[in-house]
Amino acid sequence: MFFLHNLERRVTLHPSYFGRNMHDLVTTKLVKDVEGTCAGDYYIIAIMDTFDVSEGRILPGSGLAEFTVGYRAVVWRPFKGEVVDAIAYSVNPHGFFAQAGPLRLFVSSHLMPDEIQYDANATPPQFTNNADMVIEPGTHVRVKIIGLRTEVGEMWAIGSINGDFLGCLQA
Amino acid sequence: MSKIIQLGNRLRYPITVVKLLKSPGDAIKKQEALIRYSFKWMKEVGDTIRGETWEEEQTTFADWDSPADGDLKKWLIKEGDVIGKDAPCMLVQEACPHSVQYQGLCALCGKDMTEVNWAAEARDTERAPISMVHDQTNLTVSQGQAQRTEQDLQRRLLSQRKLSLVVDLDQTIIHACIDPTVGEWQNDPTNPNHESVKAVRAFQLEDGPRSVARGCWYYIKMRPGLEEFLQRISELYELHVYTMGTRAYAEHVAEIVDPDQKLFGNRVISRDENGNVYAKSLQRLFPVSTNMVLIIDDRSDVWPQNRDNLIKVSPYDFFKGIGDINSGFLPKRQDLLSSDATAANAANGTAGPADQKAQAAAEVAAADKASPLVALASVGEGEDADLTQKGIEEQERDLERQIKDRPLQLLQEKLDKEDEEAEKASTQSEEGEARRSSSPPHTRHRVLLDDDQELFCLQDHLIDVHKTYYEEYDRKRGTLEVDPSAVPDVGQVLGTLKSQALDGVVILLTGIIPTNIDVYRSEIGVQLMSFGAELRTTVTRDLTHVVVNSQRPWTQKLRRAARYPHIKIVNQNWLVACFTRWEVADETPFMFHVEPATPASDTVATINNGGDTETEVVSEEDEAEPSEKPQPRKILRLKRPTLKLVSATGESRVLADDGESDESDDVEALLPDDIADGQLSPIDGLKTFNWGSADDELNEFLASGSDDDDDDDEEDDEDDDMEDDDEVEGDTAETGSEGSKEGIENEQSTPSRKRKRNAKAGGEESDTGTDSELASASETASASKKLRKTKSSRGTTSLRNQYELKEADADSNNNINTSSLPTPQVTGDEDDVSLLKQQQAVGEGDGFDDIDEAELMAEFEAEFEAVEAEQQAAAHPQGGDQEKG
Repeated sequence: MFFLHNLERRVTLHPSYFGRNMHDLVTTKLVKDVEGTCAGDYYIIAIMDTFDVSEGRILPGSGLAEFTVGYRAVVWRPFKGEVVDAIAYSVNPHGFFAQAGPLRLFVSSHLMPDEIQYDANATPPQFTNNADMVIEPGTHVRVKIIGLRTEVGEMWAIGSINGDFLGCLQA
Repeated sequence: MSKIIQLGNRLRYPITVVKLLKSPGDAIKKQEALIRYSFKWMKEVGDTIRGETWEEEQTTFADWDSPADGDLKKWLIKEGDVIGKDAPCMLVQEACPHSVQYQGLCALCGKDMTEVNWAAEARDTERAPISMVHDQTNLTVSQGQAQRTEQDLQRRLLSQRKLSLVVDLDQTIIHACIDPTVGEWQNDPTNPNHESVKAVRAFQLEDGPRSVARGCWYYIKMRPGLEEFLQRISELYELHVYTMGTRAYAEHVAEIVDPDQKLFGNRVISRDENGNVYAKSLQRLFPVSTNMVLIIDDRSDVWPQNRDNLIKVSPYDFFKGIGDINSGFLPKRQDLLSSDATAANAANGTAGPADQKAQAAAEVAAADKASPLVALASVGEGEDADLTQKGIEEQERDLERQIKDRPLQLLQEKLDKEDEEAEKASTQSEEGEARRSSSPPHTRHRVLLDDDQELFCLQDHLIDVHKTYYEEYDRKRGTLEVDPSAVPDVGQVLGTLKSQALDGVVILLTGIIPTNIDVYRSEIGVQLMSFGAELRTTVTRDLTHVVVNSQRPWTQKLRRAARYPHIKIVNQNWLVACFTRWEVADETPFMFHVEPATPASDTVATINNGGDTETEVVSEEDEAEPSEKPQPRKILRLKRPTLKLVSATGESRVLADDGESDESDDVEALLPDDIADGQLSPIDGLKTFNWGSADDELNEFLASGSDDDDDDDEEDDEDDDMEDDDEVEGDTAETGSEGSKEGIENEQSTPSRKRKRNAKAGGEESDTGTDSELASASETASASKKLRKTKSSRGTTSLRNQYELKEADADSNNNINTSSLPTPQVTGDEDDVSLLKQQQAVGEGDGFDDIDEAELMAEFEAEFEAVEAEQQAAAHPQGGDQEKG
């Protein structure tokens, strides 16, 4: 699910950047550092704006200036039970991998409808019910997240396409 | 699927079951109390301060918590039971078997498997330990799941009548290099190599190695006939790619080889997913059964566990001297039959890294690596990240060097120069040139030759194996359509097929395997035996072939073998041909021309390489001459005629030859060679050795030494014995020394040089005391038999042994630190004119040894002085301190 989230971050600036447009530089650096990262259990998708850039404080010893920046960002936090759209990128006999934005999902063959079977003879190998459903690398799929795990800077999820309106997305 | 749950061994047994808190049919959750039990223990009570304590038995009640989720099916214990040790207690229908896991998540139920729980003894992540997917390492499955998947695979393959084939990339089906010269040649139609490199494909890697090699072009040459080969083979086999290159590299190459993904599909595994940069393993892809899997690879040492399934192909070496660009981690290969004279010559000629990469390097590397497997093992122990890092760095260095130094260009320049010289010379010599470089005249001015035939043979072999396999399967399965239980082991099928290839061929290798390696364990030896050939270490009558190294001919073994007209003497290219074709290849083009040795001039070896039409049919008369002629030359001793007399008769001649060939091995092989043929190793004999009797003997010996009374008498006896022994051993050893002398003479051919060396040796004699002592000692040895009893002569013996060792080193051209002991045959004293010569020769050959001794003395003296000075200095300040105090 997407949220608009107020966040705070300390940004350091090298002395060579000290000058008139320092605040712009701070914002730029913030965007560069933060956008697209995984912060615990959510991804920071985009920074809307910075609303509070504090006065810079010189850090003793290094000469770098530290700014505390309050900013508003669009974050995405996947939840257990959430339905997301993803793109399959690798298929093997045990299931397939898909990517929902930055999140990597695995959908096991156990969590597919019974009629969807692995077909190793197809090129490339695919999951198919021999009708309208064909899942191969590049296929858009709608997946329900049933498990999530986070580590520093990374998240993984287990998905399922066993349910109504889940599975292949017809263009 | 119900699972039996154990009580676990963390309880204080014996326990008494007090109450079962759940009844069958109930749903249970992890950490929920299921059993109430009691146990008894001794508690120390009383006043600990005064020391008035005693132990009292206590009874404690506790709950046992469920380690699993699911439904309770059945209790295996009942209330009131006393349980003495860990035992099964209940049957549970588990909610989820967690048999497929992705990054610590159960792929079936979505639970976090990394959570550690006090109720369960084992972690849930251990339930799915097997990684078997090609392109991912973070997806793991349980044993049961792996089995199911593999069964599905086998069923599918059986119904399609296919097998699995794991294909290596580098030097097996393609050859890659990053030398920019290739790109230039491609754009230059005037270059002689233009024709060859026209079909070379190229790609760039974005995430390639850093620095110089980043963004460079990879040039990929497909092995001739590859497309048809893969097309044909993919009808019978399901193909997998297994490479030591990176993922990106593997995918690029797969795209070149198989643009439609029809052949390999997504079955590509690379170094990144392998989890081991030193070895490949079929178990990574087929964890349960490898019964239907074949491998083609140019290296066998990377498949330590799957030799049976491996078809070793001869490496494809299109870009000469480049080798395998992805083998930076692996030990240098030692199984190369450095066959191609062009490549070898050229590589030897070019200064710089081309040498290091070329086959010449392989020989050196082989010398200090006992066996690739040993190297692998030691590397594996060394662990892990550090070495991997080192490997990566080394590989990067190699790549950078390739870009900077352009070995191909160097080779071509060298070849061009040769061409010019050849043009200047007359037509006849040009022909000679062409022959020497073993390339047909019309292509001799190109470095890159595209004349590889391996895949055509390989295709036939693979079809054969497939046919035989399914014949056997059909026989076994009976009437069933698909019967996975009747699956034969393709490794065995392959083994039987291969073992017929060189059946009845008895081979002696000489000059091919480094002397410090057991031929039966060497790569080539193992391969030969797998083809059904018999290996010999000594020249015997039943030999059919002797394989010589055309770069290093004229070993003792070859001389001996040349006496038998029926033994075919071939160069190592014949082996390559046999390995490729799986049959006894026609020897004619590979015949090693044995030129009769004349007494006046030393032997000249002429290499008759493949491609030359001049055939050498070895007739009886022809062969008799060279075989007899070296003999009279050797006769310098009285003993000799007897030996010759014996050799006239058939049977005893073999015996004599056996003895001789043993010594010949002293010259060129340092292994103790008294192994019976067919035996695997010299130490195999020890298995049947009676250690008890050896102990007895030792005890007896020790006991006899301890009493002093009859010491003198015994010593006399011993001396007598010694003399006898010496006589016997001297006879055998003398011939050996002759042989070695001959070998040395072979090297130092011109008499003038020899005289010079003699003079030099004389100078050294006068220089160093030890040396003159040596010389006198050897003179003593040659003087008379009586004197030999003296201790000085015994000293000589040991010294001489050392010399013989060194000589052997020099002979084999390898600077090996031999750990092996000198062979028993040479330990005896010998009085021989040749001995003196030999020693001189040795002294000349390794003159630095003597210098070393002198230097050592000088060094020792200097050190001694230094130590003395130091001691004085140390004593002095001490005295000063005392004075101060």
